[in-house]
Amino acid sequence: MKLAIALLAALAFAALPLMTSSNYIIGVGISALIFTVAAAALNLIYGFTGLLSFAQLGFWGIGGYVTALTVVTFGGNFWWGVLWAALVNAVVALAIGYPTLRTNRHAFVIMTLTFALLVTLIARDWVDLTRGPLGIPNLPKPSAFGYHFATTAQYYWVAWAFSVAMLGFLYALCSSRIGRTLVAIKQNEPLVRAQGIAPMPYKLSAFAISAAVTGAAGGVFTFHLGIIDPLFLDFYYMQTFLIIVIIGGAGSFWGVVAAGIALSALPEVLRFSADFRMIIYGVILVVAMFVMPTGVAGWLRERQIARMREQLR
Amino acid sequence: MSAILQVTELRKSYAGVHALDGISLAVEAGSITGLIGPNGSGKSTAIDCISGFQKLDSGKVVLAGNDITGQPAHHIARSGLMRTFQTVRIYERLSLRDNLAIAAQQFDSATWIDEFLRTRRYRQAVDKAEVRARELVELIGLKRYWEIETGILSYGQKKLVALAAALMPHPKIVVLDEPVAGVNPTRIREIEVALAALNRAGETFLIVEHNVEFITNLCHRVIVLDQGKKLAEGTAAEIHTDARVLEAYLGMTPEMAEAEMRGAA
Repeated sequence: MKLAIALLAALAFAALPLMTSSNYIIGVGISALIFTVAAAALNLIYGFTGLLSFAQLGFWGIGGYVTALTVVTFGGNFWWGVLWAALVNAVVALAIGYPTLRTNRHAFVIMTLTFALLVTLIARDWVDLTRGPLGIPNLPKPSAFGYHFATTAQYYWVAWAFSVAMLGFLYALCSSRIGRTLVAIKQNEPLVRAQGIAPMPYKLSAFAISAAVTGAAGGVFTFHLGIIDPLFLDFYYMQTFLIIVIIGGAGSFWGVVAAGIALSALPEVLRFSADFRMIIYGVILVVAMFVMPTGVAGWLRERQIARMREQLR
Repeated sequence: MSAILQVTELRKSYAGVHALDGISLAVEAGSITGLIGPNGSGKSTAIDCISGFQKLDSGKVVLAGNDITGQPAHHIARSGLMRTFQTVRIYERLSLRDNLAIAAQQFDSATWIDEFLRTRRYRQAVDKAEVRARELVELIGLKRYWEIETGILSYGQKKLVALAAALMPHPKIVVLDEPVAGVNPTRIREIEVALAALNRAGETFLIVEHNVEFITNLCHRVIVLDQGKKLAEGTAAEIHTDARVLEAYLGMTPEMAEAEMRGAA
């Protein structure tokens, strides 16, 4: 049932460029798709495994730069760039995850935050590689099998196919026994150990997969923008991913996907009042957190539990 | 030697305080062994050291012929020692069914790839675990909560879930840390019956508990700890008449204990 709805929604999204010729709306659609993927990746490490990672911003930036550099500096094509973005991020995540995941959850948060800031510094100050604040402009749109995804509408299909593939992969992972084990680790790590399960490989893999997907998403988004500069590491992105996960309901796959689409569109819908739209957006977020502190999915779940309790009486 | 668990000269101290001061004990295969002692006598430290949740300073732990001394907790669990915790630990936001399934998953042959692709090997492992889980749920009498999040259960019921989870992978020995503390008397009786039945079916238990009646009814052998040392060991009846035990643990003289026994009879 859920899968059927998801499939229909995916197809409806595929049809967006056929329904409008506005590059602006299609651009919002691309953002919605890519942000949803990045939020779903954050959900894997934060919502499922219970590790709040600010490193996502760093992975997002590394992904963007690796993809851009693959094309511009190393003469590869866009597809290889995205693949490299995923691989480089997975390796980086393993390298920083191995020591930091041994610390406690609070130390992990601080270390991932520090990592994100470090990536920002590198993007700005390693001028030989990244061209610093000048950035790398004029990123060429990709082509495949002789077809050139030149316009925003055409590039939308790339973003769409990428998002559907990534969300499909993450769904298969989260709904599997591996996903359930991650939830178990979040809920009661000593019990997991007492049941013969080593938490470390699970945490490390979740972190690496989350990093790879975020990096690839960053790569796809960079080529939508057509330019990468240190602003690509603006905290705005991290904040967006986090808001999507928290409002959608950390640990709920579909809750986060729905919130990703809705919250990417919301600030645009509110454009009727240009002066107040960010204020209204903020108020909606605050009210949502008051009414549903565990997100939309958490709120639905609590109602379900309440019904179960009733039935048991 | 039919001891399934052999612990020799266990030592552990915190900042100069000897929590365990050379404790040796053995649990026979197929038996129920009780571990009692006043608060702070080292019972919990002992089972934490045995199960790998605390590092021991010295000593040796042998499980079914394998030296498991100082191994990490998940290795010891895989070797066949399952334990419960004094403060009940279950996955409160998962259903009873998932709680039991997770407890067995490390013991089947399905790899991550099997799990991700839902291969036949994975499905067979899951089905097998499900059969076992249904048996145990029947045994602990929580059948109607099968699909329900365990967080809504009562404290005593949660203890039963933890017990069932520990039994899921057919362990060589089950270590129970205060299985009936905070459980109401009728339920205690039920747990007692269930444990006795499991023991007849071949399960081995090491039980830490304060409830003397529970220990007396159930255990073939009782070990008494006091201040990190073994004070006495024997059958429940022998322990009951040991003057040192009565003084250290029950705060009674042998005459008082005798009077109480007569009263009970």
